Amino acid sequence: MTDVFGAEFLDRLHASGAVKNQLSFEALRKQGFPNRRVEAWRYTDLAGQLGQTLTPAGLRINQEQSGLFGPNPSVDAVEGDALSLLNAAVGGEGFLFDVPAGAQLKPVFARFGPMADAALVNATNRITVGGGARAVLVERWGQTDDSWMNSDTSIDVADGAHLTRIILVEDGGTGTQTHRSFTQLGENARYDALVVTLGGGLHRIEQHVDINRPGAHAGLAALVLKRDRQHSDFVTNVRHLAEDTTSDQQVRTVVDDEATAVFQGGIKVAQDSQRIEGDQLSRALMLSDRAQAFTKPELEIFADDVKCSHGATVGDLDEEALFYMRARGVDERTARALLILAFAREPFDALEMPEAVQTMLDGKVQDWLGVAGDFGALDL
Amino acid sequence: MLDIKGLHAALEDGTEILKGITLSMGAGEVHAIMGPNGSGKSTTANILSGKPGYEVTAGSAMLNGEDLFEMEPEERAHAGLFMAFQYPVEIPGVQASTFLQTAVNAKRKAEGQDELDALAFVRELRAKAKQLGIGNEMLKRAVNVGFSGGEKKRFETLQMALLEPKLALLDETDSGLDVDALRVVADGVNALRAPDRSFLVITHYQRLLDYIVPDYVHILSDGKIVKSGDASLALEVEKSGYAEFEAA
Repeated sequence: MTDVFGAEFLDRLHASGAVKNQLSFEALRKQGFPNRRVEAWRYTDLAGQLGQTLTPAGLRINQEQSGLFGPNPSVDAVEGDALSLLNAAVGGEGFLFDVPAGAQLKPVFARFGPMADAALVNATNRITVGGGARAVLVERWGQTDDSWMNSDTSIDVADGAHLTRIILVEDGGTGTQTHRSFTQLGENARYDALVVTLGGGLHRIEQHVDINRPGAHAGLAALVLKRDRQHSDFVTNVRHLAEDTTSDQQVRTVVDDEATAVFQGGIKVAQDSQRIEGDQLSRALMLSDRAQAFTKPELEIFADDVKCSHGATVGDLDEEALFYMRARGVDERTARALLILAFAREPFDALEMPEAVQTMLDGKVQDWLGVAGDFGALDL
Repeated sequence: MLDIKGLHAALEDGTEILKGITLSMGAGEVHAIMGPNGSGKSTTANILSGKPGYEVTAGSAMLNGEDLFEMEPEERAHAGLFMAFQYPVEIPGVQASTFLQTAVNAKRKAEGQDELDALAFVRELRAKAKQLGIGNEMLKRAVNVGFSGGEKKRFETLQMALLEPKLALLDETDSGLDVDALRVVADGVNALRAPDRSFLVITHYQRLLDYIVPDYVHILSDGKIVKSGDASLALEVEKSGYAEFEAA
């Protein structure tokens, strides 16, 4: 049984005594990791990750508010995605974010990182938002070395509740982050998620949303900023399982040097789900000839009364706009930065974002661009 | 102020557009360049401001003794050149007022002055915008996005007022404007006339020159200045058209 992809990695893991859940491990050892012949992994190769020897370690959680998070026991799983099985097999604890029905919370900020260097961190997280509640969760997943952070987050947003997640995935080094979330939406519930991925060796963020009840909405947005040989794979899978539901996906990508960014955007409409609106727009800005951006829309529609759209553009900066700004005395570097910043902010517009978060994200984008200065809106 | 000598220029594909323009402007003067479509009017403005896509094949252009063709577009702006665009460019996502502050501070920095903070800049911006009938609502929008033709030209004039150039090129500023909008823009330009500021007004029609009265008028035809005179030359063109000058 050495033929599966990643067998040696798993054997090393087993030998280290890290496996806590034998059943999940055996299931994974049998199916192996997905290679690039698997459609969903066509653009992302785990060979580099599986060649590493990493020490399992726990998830470090820093939160600004206390009491909102509690330990969440890991779950047993014997089927499903290989990375979810890995998570279940090694069994790391994660966070629990439980919002009582009717609560109207101020934004909650939390930071996550590895407990050790060169670690394999697995975490299983759970978010529940009770009926009619409103919550904004700002998650920052960061590391400075070459660890691999792998997590699954299951989310329930009850009837009439609204959850906004801002997920900032940032790496100072060439580490790996693979995060999946699985969201269930109740009647008239709303789930908005903004993923911002910066740095790192490989980031693969998956957002799976089941819209189970009428009146619910899912808004998924991503900002992908990559350079050097960084690799990002943003995957969405929105399933409209009830009538009168809507979804919107907005992805903006900026790639420089030899970076690669992938967007695999799924919208599925079940047979009896009528009056559905699902929109998807992916725009990529290429700053280098060697950078790559792939967009793969996947629409599966089995109902009749459905309005779904998808669009993808790939381009360079607007030369006319650059010249216009330079003719006003703005140097080329700043002019380019202003244009990229405007582009990068587009996914933010769909969200009601606390000002502190907007400022933090603007700062991240400007840091990435290497431009100082305040380019925010003036208070007139 | 501005000295253009024997300027020849071509498109990147080699097509020659300007075939030897010589023009000298003194401080505080208003010159108009008139000419039919395709005579090279806009090309002249584009080349002086440094727009990519052209090649200067011969000649020179000096602004107060500085060689424009040795400078990047932003350096030309810092040296005091300003071009009011015929078609101002829309820049989605960049707030108009933020853009103006960035431009003004870039120029101040180049001149060795302290940058204006948001408060000081907003004070100046509001005063100058008010004179041009530009409200806060327009300044909060993205640069030129959703602006009407008249609003775009007023916004160009506002930029000119804030950047206080030594030489302003007005490229077909009258295009797309009705008479009322034209008057607002012309009043704005006239308010900026000063002994140390020159204007080069590029236009197809004489109409604009009723509002911005030039000291000198030059007729451009097939990439060359074929006749120069005072403001009365514009009236002559209005009466008889460009045909007689093309023959010259």
